[in-house]
Amino acid sequence: MIKLIRRNLLRNKRRTILTVLSIAIALILLAFLDLLLAAMSGVDSANASRLVVRHAISLTFSMPAAYEQRLAALEHVEGITIMNWFQGRYIDDRPENFFPRFGTDPDTFPDVYPELEFSPGAIDAWRAERTAFIAGGALAEEKGWEPGDVITIEGDIYPVDIELTLRGIFTHPTDEAAERVLYFDWQYVEEALGNPGAINSFYILLDSPDNMNETIAQAEAMFENSPDQVRAETEAAFFLSFIEMMGNIQFLFSAIGLAVIASIFFITVNTMAMAARERTTEVAVLRTLGFTRSRVLAIVLLESLSVGVLGAAMGLAFMVLTAGALSSFLASQGMTFSELRLGERTPTLVMGIGVSLGLAAGLVPALQAMNMKIVDGLRRVA
Amino acid sequence: MIPIKYNVRSLFVRKANTLMTIVSIAFVVLVYVGVLALGAGLRVAFTASGDNSTVIVLRDGANSEMESYFPTETHRILASMPGVARGADGEPLASGETMTLQILERPDGTETNAVLRGVEDDAFALRPYIRITEGRRFVPGQTEIIVGDQLEGEAGGLELGSTIELGRFTFTVAGIFDSGGSSYGSEIWGNVQEFGDSFRRQNYYSSTRLMAESPAQVDALIEEIESSQQIDVAARGEPGYFEAQSNASSGVFLMLGNLIAVMMGFGACFAAANTMYAQVAARSKEIATLRVLGFRRRTILGVFVLEAAVLGLAAGALGALLALPLNNVSAGTTNFVTFSEIRFVLRTTPDVLGAGVLVATLTAVIGGFFPALSASRAPIATLLREG
Repeated sequence: MIKLIRRNLLRNKRRTILTVLSIAIALILLAFLDLLLAAMSGVDSANASRLVVRHAISLTFSMPAAYEQRLAALEHVEGITIMNWFQGRYIDDRPENFFPRFGTDPDTFPDVYPELEFSPGAIDAWRAERTAFIAGGALAEEKGWEPGDVITIEGDIYPVDIELTLRGIFTHPTDEAAERVLYFDWQYVEEALGNPGAINSFYILLDSPDNMNETIAQAEAMFENSPDQVRAETEAAFFLSFIEMMGNIQFLFSAIGLAVIASIFFITVNTMAMAARERTTEVAVLRTLGFTRSRVLAIVLLESLSVGVLGAAMGLAFMVLTAGALSSFLASQGMTFSELRLGERTPTLVMGIGVSLGLAAGLVPALQAMNMKIVDGLRRVA
Repeated sequence: MIPIKYNVRSLFVRKANTLMTIVSIAFVVLVYVGVLALGAGLRVAFTASGDNSTVIVLRDGANSEMESYFPTETHRILASMPGVARGADGEPLASGETMTLQILERPDGTETNAVLRGVEDDAFALRPYIRITEGRRFVPGQTEIIVGDQLEGEAGGLELGSTIELGRFTFTVAGIFDSGGSSYGSEIWGNVQEFGDSFRRQNYYSSTRLMAESPAQVDALIEEIESSQQIDVAARGEPGYFEAQSNASSGVFLMLGNLIAVMMGFGACFAAANTMYAQVAARSKEIATLRVLGFRRRTILGVFVLEAAVLGLAAGALGALLALPLNNVSAGTTNFVTFSEIRFVLRTTPDVLGAGVLVATLTAVIGGFFPALSASRAPIATLLREG
C-alpha cells in the first residue's frame, strides 16, 4: 500500500513538487512570523533578579542622581547602576548604524550584570579612562572594531558629541541581541553638560527573584511624595513595555498567518482534488480487485497527508538552517528584538498545520473515492 | 487572433479548480493590500501634518521635537523675525510648543506612550484643519486639555468631561478635536505654560512653529533663522520634518508587505502553475486542433499566458474586494522617531489596491508561463494522441 501511495505521488511529479513547495514556502513565512512574535514577547537577556526604576511619567523624564544611594539602601539590593539612553548618531542615520548606546557607571555596572563575561582587563581599562567604552562581541564583530579603535557619536538628545575608545569586549552566554550594545562612562557626558545629575533609569540586581515584588513596592513607596515619583518593574516587564507600544502587532501577525493558512489550504485542496479526479477509474479498479472502502480512504488520505508533512518538514528544515542568519540580518538592519530562536512552539505549530492541512485537503476526495459506486467509476472517463 | 472569450470560457469549464486557485491567490492579495494599507495610512497621517508654509525650529542637532529643548527667550527672538507672517491681529503667527510623553493605560490593560503637546494660541491658526468636534477649546488657567480624535477612548479612557492627572495637576477634557487625518490626532493638547508648570519644565520649549508669508518664502525664512548669530537652532519645512518620521515608521510595513508578497507570491505562483498545467493537459486536443487550423505556436503561448493573466486579474479583483473593508480601520504603531504611539486609519488607496491586483496578475502570469510554453511546444501528433 505504501508503494501505491509513493507511486501515486510520483505519477505527476511536477504537481506534487509544486504543491509541496508552495506549502513549504507558506509555512516558512508562518514560522518566521511566529518566531518574530516569540522574539518580541520574551526577551531572553532579561534577568529574573533584575529590576528597572524609571520616572513615573515616562522615560523622557529623568530622576535626580541622588536616588541611587537611597535605592541602594533597600534590603535586598545586591547591586545598582545608572543607565542613560544616549542615542546619538554613529556615522549616519542608516538603520544598520543604529544600535543601543548607553551611558552607565563602570564602577557598578558589572555588579548588576553578573551574567556577562568581559575580556581580560576590560573592566579595569574601562574604569581607568573616562572616554573608554565596552562593546558586545556581536556588535564589535559586525562593525569590525578592534580594541583601541576610536569612534565618534554625534549627540541628538544631548547636545554633546562623544569620542570613545574601545577598551574591552563582553559576551552573553545565550543571547546574541544582548551583545549588540555599547556601554560607556556616563560621567563623560555628565561633565560636558555641566553636571545636571539627571538619570533616565536605575538597574538593580536583587539577591533573589523572590524578593522582586517586595522591592518594587518599596522603591515606588520611597519616592511617593517626591516631585519625581518613580515606577519600578522587572527587567522583562520593562522590555515588554516597548513591545506594547508597537500597538496591535500581534494581532496583525496572527491575521496575516491566518490568511496564509487559508491560502495554502485552497492550494492543497485543489491539488488533491485534481489528483483524485484523474484516478477515478483507477480507484474503481482497486475496489474491483478487492480493496475495501476503508483502504481506499486510507490511501487517498495518506497521500494527501504525506504532501502536507513533506511541505512542513521542508519549511521547518529551511527555518532551522537559516534562523541564525536571519536574526543577524534583522539585527544588522537596526531591528531590536530580532533574535529568532526555534523553541518548541514553532516546530509544533508548523508540523501541526502540515498534518491538519494534509488531512483536511484529502478528506473530500478520499470520501468521494470511498463512497463511489464501482460501476460509476469504471464508466466515468477522466 | 483567438478571442479572449475562449479563455474565459475555458476557465469556466473547470470551475472548482479555477475558483480555488483564484481564492488562494486572492488571500495573498488580501494580506499584501492589508499591510500596504497600514503603511499608506501612516504616510497619509504624516503628510497631513506638514504644511507648506510652516517652518519648524528645533535645537541644533535634534531630530525631533521629543529631543529638542531651548529657552523660551529663543522663541521670542524667532517670533520677532521679519520673515514671519502676521495674523489678523497684526501679531506674528508663531507657536512655541512643548512635547512630552506620558504613560497611559489602554482599555485592554496594556500601556502606551501618549504625546502631550503644550501649545500657544497660534497653534490653531497654524493648523487650520484642526476642528473641535465635541466640547470646546481648553481655556488657559483652567487646567483643561483637548484630545485628538484618534486617541479618544483609546488610552487613559479619555472622553469629554473626564479628568486625568498629568504631572502635578489634574486636567479636565474640555474638547475632542478632529485632526483632519493628521498625526496630531494621537495627541493631547493643553496650554504650554500649564503643562510647563505641571511638569516643572518652565521656561523651555521643544519647538517653535512659524508661518512664512507664502510657501515660496519658506527657504528665505529658514535662511534668516539659521544665519542668526543670537540663537543655536535648526529650521526646516514642516513637510520634510514629518516625511522623515513617516519613512522611519512606515518603512517597516513596506518591508513586511514586500516580504510577504514575495514569499506568498511564490506559493501562489505554484498554485497557478498547477492549475494552468491541468488546463493544458485537459485541452491537448483543443490545442492540437488550433494548431491544425493554422494558429502559430506563438499564438498558443500567448493564449495560455493570457488565460493565466485573466485568472490573476480575477484573483486580484477578488482580493482587493476582500480588502476594501479594511479601509478606515483604526490601528496604532510606534512613531520610531519620537517613541510615542501614533494612531491612524488604514487606507486602501487606489495605489495600494492597484499594487495588489498587479501582484496577483504577475503571480499568475509567471505561474502560467511554463505550462503555456509546454502547450505551445508539444508536437501536434502527440497532442492529438493524448487526452
